[in-house]
Amino acid sequence: MSSEPVIAFNSVWKKYSRHQVLNNSLRDELVSVITGKKCRAELANGEFWALKDISLTVGNGECIGLYGPNGSGKSTILKLISNVTYPTKGDITVHGRVAPLIELGAGMHPDLTGIENIYMNGAILGLTIREINHKQQEIIEFSGLEEFINAPVKKYSSGMYLRLAFSIAVHSPADIFLFDEVLAVGDEEFQSKCINKIESLRALYKTIVVVSHDIDSLENIADKVFYITRST
Amino acid sequence: MFKRLYTYKDLLLVFIWREFLIRYKQTAIGVLWAILQPVSLMLLFTFIFGVVLHTTQKNYPYTLFYFAGVLPWTFFSGSTNFAVTSLSGNFNLVTKIYFPREIIPLSGVAINFIDYLIGLSVYFMLLLFYGVPLTWNFLWLFPLLIMLVLYTTSVSLLLAALNVYYRDVKLATTFLIQFLFFATPVIYSIDAVDNKWKLLLFLNPLTFIVENMRRVTIEGRGIVVWQMVAESVGILLFYFIVYRIFIRIERAFADVI
Repeated sequence: MSSEPVIAFNSVWKKYSRHQVLNNSLRDELVSVITGKKCRAELANGEFWALKDISLTVGNGECIGLYGPNGSGKSTILKLISNVTYPTKGDITVHGRVAPLIELGAGMHPDLTGIENIYMNGAILGLTIREINHKQQEIIEFSGLEEFINAPVKKYSSGMYLRLAFSIAVHSPADIFLFDEVLAVGDEEFQSKCINKIESLRALYKTIVVVSHDIDSLENIADKVFYITRST
Repeated sequence: MFKRLYTYKDLLLVFIWREFLIRYKQTAIGVLWAILQPVSLMLLFTFIFGVVLHTTQKNYPYTLFYFAGVLPWTFFSGSTNFAVTSLSGNFNLVTKIYFPREIIPLSGVAINFIDYLIGLSVYFMLLLFYGVPLTWNFLWLFPLLIMLVLYTTSVSLLLAALNVYYRDVKLATTFLIQFLFFATPVIYSIDAVDNKWKLLLFLNPLTFIVENMRRVTIEGRGIVVWQMVAESVGILLFYFIVYRIFIRIERAFADVI
């Protein structure tokens, strides 16, 4: 296991707004297109810091857990790693392809069949069409849905739906896997399947970040667990 | 933009393919809708303006005249209509996973373009059927197509991005598209318009595109080069500005959507 960092947060700050529409935000962005200056770093009315001065590094092949109360910014960290959002202040460097399992089946469409959704979700998770062709059989086998794979996903039970989504996600060739509360869904059999799969990903020296409320299972699978407290 | 898209070309292809599948899933006649929609509009206009109101549109067949206008118009309105809600409607993707956001509105432009190509082949069959002689001038259709696609893409990206911030955009677009329909020579010819209004109408790039698409195919006439240059420069400039803005505000989409 090498200790070269694949994810590095250097005093990262992230602010959010409580308001539904950020009246100023579009104007700010447009002004900065013209003037080229950065976004304002101070808090305006109704804004708050979701992350305050977070620094952390994750080495290659490490598995870390994030644990903390609701609203402490765990998911925000995952979103920053996967580049969905950007930090207000500070730098983030990420080396390698990220598979964000932030919400299973985010790209699923109910009218499409299982096979069609494998392509859809696979592509969203960063697989190329060729890689999906290659792994299709493996994904179907892992999900155990051979009989239903040509049925539209809307006919699936929610358990079947999750199994398909999970199999697609863990067959991504990414280097960094982000799991958000994935351990909290599905039946016991599915949960143990999840944990087994995380173990086998670790055996392949993939870097893994897991967010969970279940401290026991977190401490089981992760090398390090970070406790994140709500910033005030 | 093309460099960014090349890295994600498989995702774009899958998105186009998905939209295409969804569109014709559980439909009885499937892809025939791509032909049925413009053809029924064309027949409607032919009936109202030709049979009921007896307006004359130069001296070519009504069906050809309206079809030539309806096709690019359906492409433009279909794409922009799709684009407006494309980002805000896919918020579960936008807030969870990173990919170049323009892929979603662009996939809408692409499927509408497929429909447009199907419509164009019907149009060429109609031209043959009416025995309209094709001249080399019809090759102008290709640069006009590029201009139409580029302009439609720019408008789609702009509306999609703005609707992430303000849902008013969606409501305004319905009106805007109706308004543009009358500002574009779909059901009339620019030749029937007074000179003082012509200049105003040409501020709308669609006017130039639609009018000339008709002209180079049915009439076999060439285009006016300085007009073409001016309109192309305008469209390119518009595209660059919109794309610059899009890239800038794209990263904030997940926070405001």
